[in-house]
Amino acid sequence: MHVLRSDAPLIVYVDIKSPYAFVAIRPTLALEAELGLQFDWRPLTLDIPSYLGSAEKKKGQVVKSSGRSQRTWNAIRYSYRDARRYAERQGLILKGTEKIWDSSLPNIGILWVMQTARDKLADYFEAVYPPFWRRELDIEDISVVEACLQQAGIDASGFAAFAAFASGEGRALHDDLQTQFHPNGIYGVPTYVFGDDILFGREHIPYLRWALSGRQGAAPDIAYEIA
Amino acid sequence: MLTVYIDFKSPEAYLALAPTLELANRLSLSIDWKPFRTIERDVPKLGKEETVGESHRRVRAESQRRLAIKYAAHQGIDLTYPPILGSTELALGVLAGLDGDRLAFIRVAFQAYWHDHADLNDDATVQALIEQSGVDHRGGLAEARQLFESEQEQAEEIGIVGAPAYVIADQIFVGREHLPWIEELAQNPD
Repeated sequence: MHVLRSDAPLIVYVDIKSPYAFVAIRPTLALEAELGLQFDWRPLTLDIPSYLGSAEKKKGQVVKSSGRSQRTWNAIRYSYRDARRYAERQGLILKGTEKIWDSSLPNIGILWVMQTARDKLADYFEAVYPPFWRRELDIEDISVVEACLQQAGIDASGFAAFAAFASGEGRALHDDLQTQFHPNGIYGVPTYVFGDDILFGREHIPYLRWALSGRQGAAPDIAYEIA
Repeated sequence: MLTVYIDFKSPEAYLALAPTLELANRLSLSIDWKPFRTIERDVPKLGKEETVGESHRRVRAESQRRLAIKYAAHQGIDLTYPPILGSTELALGVLAGLDGDRLAFIRVAFQAYWHDHADLNDDATVQALIEQSGVDHRGGLAEARQLFESEQEQAEEIGIVGAPAYVIADQIFVGREHLPWIEELAQNPD
């Protein structure tokens, strides 16, 4: 699977542990429905400590932190506050995470759903994203991810083998994508790949709607659309 | 009243100018323009051996530039990054000290930085911009530098982390992508 190529009109990269991807899911699904298209949803598992440093919180207090300046902390806090207020507008709860999770399992779940039950993708996102951001899910536990698949009406038998380290087809696909991101100009989520355009952030949804529906009139500016 | 923090060297602040003014004009909203020093970095060069973090920062910087140029073109702006990003602190200090309408100075300062790649931390350059814009700047340039530092400190204290930053109804929004929500707040402040 090439990171920039797909038969679908648009590729969408997301990560379960990204608050910005969280608040982009419903607007992007709505765009898909509005245009009557099927996008190619794929995982991008962020390596957050490599570029933002790392931290661990307990009961809301930072108990461990490395590689983060005051300015980085201020920007991270703003980002969470910003994502939270937009989540609340969608009727969602967004609690700051207490550690940087390995989200590869639920992300490989996206590949599983795309291969086995495409029409249940929105249900899978609903089963995983909102409870994770309410701090109700241990997404590093495969039985938890299997339960989310089942809750979304998706057969999870075979998922453990699909996601297994070293031997799983889904794990190999996921890891192969990971190696392709930076060389192809992708670094975060949500990222939308539309032809030659690589667009980071849901603020590009107005442009995507315009481009996917025939480029009528002037191209719109970036915007976080609100209901 | 809408408070808007800008830095002349921020491409995002430059591209926010027209849509922000359009919104303000449409809603008859007055704007209090304030300075904020952003951190703008050159795109790191591709190293022979990059760490994941270095690679991430380079790809992110390249992407941000590509997207700024793309959306600038939608506004009819041919966005060209200066070879040296430099500092804009003196011009920002002048902005903070202006009496009356600051827009004329903002326009010439953005134009000078992005089209002429002028040094907005240079006394002679900034003095020429004051004269060109016809604004009323009574303090000296040394005073402007001091004023900028205190304005920057105050901005950081209230939680400004980038530009353009908008403050309305006790909320801070960084980026023009928030204009739909800002418009909603301006129309329904309660």
